[in-house]
Amino acid sequence: MKLTIDQRWDLIDKIAKQTITFGEYRHTLKDAIGEFTVKPLTGIPIAIAVMYAFWSIFGSFAGFFTDGFFVRLFDAYWLPWLQEVFPGQGGWLYTIMVDAGGIEGGEFVLSDNCLESFGVLTSGLFVAIGVVLPAIVIFYLMLALLEDIGYMPRLAVLIDTMLHKIGLHGYAIVPTILSLGCNVPGVTATRILETKKQRFIMMTLLAIFIPCGAQIGIMQDVIPGLMGWILLYLIIGYFIFGYILNKIVPGKAPEFLIDVPPYRRPMLSNIAKKVWGRIAGFFKVAIPFVLLGAAIVGVLYQIGVIRFLGDALAPVFVGWFGVPKETAGPLIAAFLRKDLAVAQLSVIEMTEYQMITAVVLVSIYFPCVATFAMMLKEGWKELLGAMAVLAVVVFAYGGLIHLIGILLGVA
Amino acid sequence: MKVLLMGHPNVGKSVFFNRLTGANVTESNYPGTTVDFTKGYMKIDGEDVELIDVPGTFSLDPKDKAEEVAVAILYENKDVKVICVIDASKIERGVYLALEILEEGYPIVIALNMWDAAVDKNIQIDINNLQRILGVAVVPTVAISGEGIKELTSRLKEARPVEIDDIIRNAGGLT
Repeated sequence: MKLTIDQRWDLIDKIAKQTITFGEYRHTLKDAIGEFTVKPLTGIPIAIAVMYAFWSIFGSFAGFFTDGFFVRLFDAYWLPWLQEVFPGQGGWLYTIMVDAGGIEGGEFVLSDNCLESFGVLTSGLFVAIGVVLPAIVIFYLMLALLEDIGYMPRLAVLIDTMLHKIGLHGYAIVPTILSLGCNVPGVTATRILETKKQRFIMMTLLAIFIPCGAQIGIMQDVIPGLMGWILLYLIIGYFIFGYILNKIVPGKAPEFLIDVPPYRRPMLSNIAKKVWGRIAGFFKVAIPFVLLGAAIVGVLYQIGVIRFLGDALAPVFVGWFGVPKETAGPLIAAFLRKDLAVAQLSVIEMTEYQMITAVVLVSIYFPCVATFAMMLKEGWKELLGAMAVLAVVVFAYGGLIHLIGILLGVA
Repeated sequence: MKVLLMGHPNVGKSVFFNRLTGANVTESNYPGTTVDFTKGYMKIDGEDVELIDVPGTFSLDPKDKAEEVAVAILYENKDVKVICVIDASKIERGVYLALEILEEGYPIVIALNMWDAAVDKNIQIDINNLQRILGVAVVPTVAISGEGIKELTSRLKEARPVEIDDIIRNAGGLT
């Protein structure tokens, strides 16, 4: 037998009356803190403080390990040692695995750091372990804390009004923040949104505009001074194109109801388990991709494909986006790993504004292959739609950034 | 035997799942952590039991894709037992989902999870009476510390389908 909704609630009422007694409830300190952090007047400043703390801890932790330890390890010991012992200096295998070197005064010279060497075992390993690993460790440690304390739903409530402007609602903060670690779980997390329209907007926006933890980590290391501008362009793009998508994508953007859970004391074992899971995943999935990406780009350089692409696409790169044609190489790497692409960009000679444009382009132009695969799993129609939006965004926004540069007199 | 872990979002299903199967699915304090299902295995009285961690859902009338996944798993698996995980301090709405699952003819046991939080809030629950009315096993649990988990699994064998008419009669009839 099936009940109607009313009958069911009627029955539950009867059951509850006979089995549950609510004693007197005293407001506790935990409740007070809970309310304090969710009411806009006090909650918004606290949210800004939390985000700022997140950001500065992230930067100083990652910087401490990368600059203080890994840069020295890789540049002073690992690189010279490999340059010494790896056979066949100047040969193609040496170039791809260890050091592409450079030509100075007509002579082949070895690189003196792991970013310029472009080798799989040098640049590839340095980017993966020296730069990105510390960044994701601290990112996921802090994310796990925020998750387990129960702060995320409160953040969702606070940012609700703003996200409604782009067809989403507060809970879209969950896929957004998860994407800041890695876009792949971000794409899966779009399932908590109610309508197809919301899922499409969210998936498209995060694939285009949200840089992943690996990319943020490498930016922090190689172009710390420009990172603010890059993130600003990405955030502005997120809202501009979200606003436009909300207007043109048919469908509903309903209100959301959320259970804000009580704050809970995070359990160390659970935090450790989550962070460890991420690190293990990083070793299993990310590192092979970084090395593979470095190898593919190395080979493509060797056989001249990248030079060819750079020349062929020069009018677009130089004329429309205002970046050097050498950007073609990193853009290919970006399909496999965005972090590797940024590392490769950082050693190409260009002006600061070109660097900002190029890194924004690397972020928005195509999701990495892992994200691409996950989007395909969520639905090929959505993926095609997202790719169409992406093509428009890259040209429109890339051109716009160039135009802004021209107007400011820096491009 | 196959067992589904079902309940509202953020009531601790994944914590149960990890404890029971030794698996490693993500646990967090926000609704919507689990959006896909995970299978795991455990042994009860020497028998292999397949356990599925189902995404949280408020009812069998899905409102987002994670809930669609949850409801689809229930309908695809006819010959299963369901552990209904209910937040002990929000029993009424948890029972709503439990009733819906019972109406579909599934045998269930109920875990009244976060029992400690309900005690802190001075909520008293007459477990025996609740079991009598619903005709299913009701076990107070605290999943993160493991309290009540043994009893829950050992009482899984008591689970059998219940006629809604019986529940209505036990509760003293509808209005």
